[in-house]
Amino acid sequence: MTGLAEFATPRATPNEEKRSSIMTENIMAGPAEGLKADHSTPLEIAGLTVSLKTGAWKCAIVEDVSLRVRAGEILGLVGESGSGKTVTCLAALGLLGPAWQTEGEIRLARTRITDAPSAGQLVSVRGREAAMIFQDASASLNPIEKIGKQLTKTVARLRGLPTGEAREIALDLLRRVEMPDPEERFHSYPFQLSGGQNQRVMIAVALAGRPELLFADEPTTALDVTVQSQILDLIKSLRDETRMGVVFVTHDLGVVKEVCDSVAVMYAGRIVESGSVERIMNAPRHPYTLGLIESMPTLSGHVPEGIEGQVPAPDKRPSGCAFAPRCHKAQERCRLQLPLGARADGGDSVACFFPLAGDLGRTEPSELPLHSRPADGPGPDTLLSLNDAACDYATRRGRFRAVSGITLSLNEGDRLAVIGESGSGKSTIGKLMLGIEPTSQGTASFMGRPVPILGTSDHVAFARSVQLVPQNPFLSLDPRATIGSQIEEPLEIHGIGTRQERRDRRRELLESAGLSPELAMRYPHEISGGQCQRAVIARALALRPKVLICDEATASLDVSVQARIIELLRELHRMHDLSIVFITHDLRLARSLCSHVAVMRSGQLVELGETSPMFEAPEHPYTAQLLASMPDVEATASRTLETMQ
Amino acid sequence: MTGFVIRKLLRTLFTLFLVVTFVFFVLRLTGDPVSAMMPDDTDPAILDELRKQWGLDRPLGVQYLEYWFNLLQGDFGNAYRDGRPAIEIVAERIPATLKLTLTAFAFIVIAGFPLGIFAAVNRGTAIDRGIMTISVTGFSLPNFFLGILLIFLLSVTLRLLPAYGSDHWYNLIMPVITLGTAGAAVIARFVRSSMLEVLNAPYIRACRARGMTERAIIWTVALPNAAIPTITIMGFMVGTLIGGSIVTETVFAWPGIGRLLIDAVTARELAVVQTVVMITAASMVFANLAVDLLYLVIDPRRRYASGTGE
Repeated sequence: MTGLAEFATPRATPNEEKRSSIMTENIMAGPAEGLKADHSTPLEIAGLTVSLKTGAWKCAIVEDVSLRVRAGEILGLVGESGSGKTVTCLAALGLLGPAWQTEGEIRLARTRITDAPSAGQLVSVRGREAAMIFQDASASLNPIEKIGKQLTKTVARLRGLPTGEAREIALDLLRRVEMPDPEERFHSYPFQLSGGQNQRVMIAVALAGRPELLFADEPTTALDVTVQSQILDLIKSLRDETRMGVVFVTHDLGVVKEVCDSVAVMYAGRIVESGSVERIMNAPRHPYTLGLIESMPTLSGHVPEGIEGQVPAPDKRPSGCAFAPRCHKAQERCRLQLPLGARADGGDSVACFFPLAGDLGRTEPSELPLHSRPADGPGPDTLLSLNDAACDYATRRGRFRAVSGITLSLNEGDRLAVIGESGSGKSTIGKLMLGIEPTSQGTASFMGRPVPILGTSDHVAFARSVQLVPQNPFLSLDPRATIGSQIEEPLEIHGIGTRQERRDRRRELLESAGLSPELAMRYPHEISGGQCQRAVIARALALRPKVLICDEATASLDVSVQARIIELLRELHRMHDLSIVFITHDLRLARSLCSHVAVMRSGQLVELGETSPMFEAPEHPYTAQLLASMPDVEATASRTLETMQ
Repeated sequence: MTGFVIRKLLRTLFTLFLVVTFVFFVLRLTGDPVSAMMPDDTDPAILDELRKQWGLDRPLGVQYLEYWFNLLQGDFGNAYRDGRPAIEIVAERIPATLKLTLTAFAFIVIAGFPLGIFAAVNRGTAIDRGIMTISVTGFSLPNFFLGILLIFLLSVTLRLLPAYGSDHWYNLIMPVITLGTAGAAVIARFVRSSMLEVLNAPYIRACRARGMTERAIIWTVALPNAAIPTITIMGFMVGTLIGGSIVTETVFAWPGIGRLLIDAVTARELAVVQTVVMITAASMVFANLAVDLLYLVIDPRRRYASGTGE
């Protein structure tokens, strides 16, 4: 094992000669014959177009992508869902199914992968020249085989070793990925490990064949922030140790800033901008890149500004620049002509006719008025409060206390963030406030009276004042009813207004949620995720509630859409003096929207206070740890823990 | 582990108790063995005498308690006609039925699994559609009809196999096909859909990404995972086989307990009917128990979820 090798960001040294020699070769070569094995560039993609084909119908998902990864480089492939990041990686390993067609050049360290390589050749490349880790690590391991066995088998196969030796190496790999108690975990099944531990196992499996390139497809997206930061550190240190190249796919620019050396931004199947991470983050030149950065909430309170419109479906991409319909700077030319594609080959490149000049023009955060009252004692205008509240769930093995000793209150006009990692009990707080779960101890009260429990007659009236916006808008809308009728439904249930009045109210609600009236006749599957979440919010507002409880309401949305939902919530707060409880794992979102923050950990409330003072000087070490773990596009404010130590 | 097995066993015993009780009352409420046995013009006094002799004149409740009393001592009662113990009559028929059902079960597994896997791997192709068409035909054909069809084809027309008999191995061919085809068809469909689901799972893609060959993935990763839900169906299959054996044994004059049951019901041989029903019920209940235990063996998630892990 080499120690932490000194590592410098690869400078832009475009090697045109090498590229052209590669492009003229178009026979599928086995372990490079006639083609120089290039271990300094474990991945080179040129002019890659990947299409999905069914019968006569053919649709390009990825178009004209060129990129290059050097040994020891971490290239961030960034973009929103549907931009083609994952497809690009899968194509590079030949992992796309028979319905996919690949054109262009893909070269790994020793092997060229062009259209339709034989199965045997692909098998010999995968795991040895390039390996891949996935977002959902727990689902990416064979559920009925012990992880040690899976790892041993992979080592034995990829290195051609007998089981005994492979077992030793497997254990060593588990140690290298910093698995706690590796000897013991060796005999665990995936379901016995946490998501973070499973991701460590996946990384160990990926290292089994000593690959020169690692594709990491959103490897930390499903993890808690503190675990995420450990995994990111692990990937960086393994890169230093093995000098492997990494393609890091993510939608989170904060993560990019944390781990990547260079960045390629993808939009609608094309790379629109590439360059070093510093340059992209500080001086983006493509309007989409700027839009993405502006969409990211930050720990220092940047209010995210989203991008209007939505990503075009692959079969409805415009003939000119795909971003033109959403771009403020777009001119006639942008709609007619396609700008020259950007190449991620180490240098700066932008696919735009009118690139931005440079600096990120950050406007000062426009703070919403802060009601500076202590949030922990019920006052005269307290709406919702929990007093020493606990909640038990019945499980197979008896009762499980999800939260205990929670005392907090929400005053009129407050925006309270409840933050914490998975299993911290933050959603339980929402359930107690909504009367979905009864308190097992202590009280939950609304305007001085106990919160009625769901299913009782009192709850019907209570529900008019407190409404929920859940995480997944597609699951919370009826797929067989129109958006309009679902927005009207609460009014019907509560017998409010005449038919005409309800229609009028419906239009009003659609408008205040930023939806055009004609969407009323559409069904949920006909509109985008962001529009669905707006419809859910409109429905929640139908009864003119005093409190809106948003449980991870933006977690399943793309950042540019998330930003617009946050904007909407801020707007609704301002217009209707709506009080909001915002349950989230994302501290940056809490900062951008909320006046107060409650930090949960293992069912306990560890810190409660106003947002900005807490973010600047957290009192509880756990809050400090969370803040330090949160990847942030403005890295200055995020190193609270380091400054503390 | 033992706690789990004991709980399951207690539940099994309760099921058997229900079955015995149900059969006891239904049989006695639906016909009288004495009048079924004697000619129609028999003197009623003689019938009454016989009923008295066999204890059938006493209240039903008393008969029921007495039945249990004897049963717990291992006495299943005697046949009315020849006075032989019912358990003896049934026991001599069991080997024939076991031979038939076990061979049919093996046929189901050996034909069903490969067909299902083959269809799944070749999803959407002519092979897949062909297998699925055969499968639909297979489980749509009533087995008595399939049996008669086979006899017509193989015995009457082609004269390849004798229509009945049970002394040679080739006597098994037609009854086993008759009995097993529907099951094999169901298993093939089930294995196919289970395989398709597993082949789309993220861990299969991860296996491909680390260079496992498609063949290794199918046999060492996908199949063990796909087999887990199939086990439930296999448990049900035991029940179908026992039910199906009654029809099949009748069609092929197979000397097993299925045919014995038909004869005994017609003759109102209460003790024999009850014994057959009890034994079949017990074997089905124990097959289900075996399935539950098999789950624990092959699915680690269940082993730990049921609190029986190490």
